[in-house]
Amino acid sequence: MTRIQETLNELRRAAGVRGSALLTPDGLMVAHTLDAQFREDVVAGLTSFLLMTTHRCLRENSMGSFQQFVLHATHGKAVFVELDTSYLVVLLDQFADLDSSRQEIQGAAQRLRRCGKMS
Amino acid sequence: MNLIQRMMIRKDLKRLEQRVHDEPSPSTYVDLGQVYINLEMSDKALQAAENGLALFPDSVELEQLRSFARRTGLKARIQDLRAKMTKSPNPKGYRELATMYLDLGDHAAVQSVCEECVVRFPQDAGTWMVQAQARLADFYRDLSARAGLEAVRCLEQVLQLDSSNGKARELLGELLFRVGATRQSAACLQAARPVHGAHDADLQALLKQAQAQAPSGDDVDTLFHEVEETGVLPNPPVTRKQKAQGEEGIGKIRDALAQLAEAPGVQKAAYIRGSRALVKGEIKDGKDPFLRVVRVLAKSAQRFARRLDIGNFSKGVLDGPFGHVCLCSYGEVVAAAQCDKGAAVDRVLADLQELVAGSLYLAGMRDS
Repeated sequence: MTRIQETLNELRRAAGVRGSALLTPDGLMVAHTLDAQFREDVVAGLTSFLLMTTHRCLRENSMGSFQQFVLHATHGKAVFVELDTSYLVVLLDQFADLDSSRQEIQGAAQRLRRCGKMS
Repeated sequence: MNLIQRMMIRKDLKRLEQRVHDEPSPSTYVDLGQVYINLEMSDKALQAAENGLALFPDSVELEQLRSFARRTGLKARIQDLRAKMTKSPNPKGYRELATMYLDLGDHAAVQSVCEECVVRFPQDAGTWMVQAQARLADFYRDLSARAGLEAVRCLEQVLQLDSSNGKARELLGELLFRVGATRQSAACLQAARPVHGAHDADLQALLKQAQAQAPSGDDVDTLFHEVEETGVLPNPPVTRKQKAQGEEGIGKIRDALAQLAEAPGVQKAAYIRGSRALVKGEIKDGKDPFLRVVRVLAKSAQRFARRLDIGNFSKGVLDGPFGHVCLCSYGEVVAAAQCDKGAAVDRVLADLQELVAGSLYLAGMRDS
């Protein structure tokens, strides 16, 4: 098992986390561990759409780029963290406490960044 | 429809349900709704139209599907109710039936149901009221003297049976005011004052306007015929409390937004409803990049959440070199703020949520 997959699996064990994935901005899935509820291709496609739209919009309006986006919906939450050349996507249930998961998400992002630099 | 045809349609249905889930678009929702209608499942067709409109609120086809499904559902309910009424007629059932016909826009059927009810239950004010509403709709659409005079007669009948019916008094007062019978309108509204007290702002506003306006004549019958001949109502629609409340509502939103923009660390704040926006803070105009980013972000986050099946997007925080962009969304309403890096994001989000909830409450008050 790669270190990337190991990190994602570890994050998946955190309270309220329903899945995590590492993606390139154009929607290529590097590694993932997702609940049966989520389809890999759907998560990849939708994440790519959201991230590319947000990036383009920020760039067009001279606001630079973003480092993190936290999305709350009625039945779930999603956190997108920018790594150097990829994105960490964490899907959580609606009851998940983001304050307590924040450290775990940031820790995982940190480890993934290191993995990216080593490879 | 035979068994094989039914099985084929069921198969189609499953395929379409999956397609709607995988690639939602107005046309996939319409296709699904059409199959539901063919299977006489108008409730499900209506649900499909509602779901589609939540994602594509501007779709004309989905609006048409919703309207068609609603009408089909109403027709089925009318049939059921008709069958029940044949066995045991009652005023409540007649009222319900007449209201459903009114929803369908079939005013001739409303008339026939009301007449039937009036013959059986002449003391039921509710049926006269439904009949009056149908007549009023006819009058305001065609400006036909006959419909207007019928509406007056029905409303007077309601008031005779139930003099405390404020709605009937208001409708009658307004109708008389619009055709120029301001003296009769004022007399009708003044009669309501002891019943409703001095706080009924709607009636008071109406009364004020009726008293201020000189009458076009004294004979109501002649006035209605003049309206029919000229095709013009002498007096404009009455300005009501509703409008004042709307202005007050916007004022409250503006105040809340200004308060938010003044909070420590908050640079800009915006309240967006559809194509309109209220802005506070360091924003020059509607072309501000922040506004554009908020619109795009809210829309794409909503699409992401819906398609991933995690419900509707409600709030979000975007962090970047610009600080934080906090958003809160419900339906077509989005409130957002741009804050500095050290700002209390949770507090800002809570304020935005309160702003959206408050504005929806005010909108609900206006609509009710």
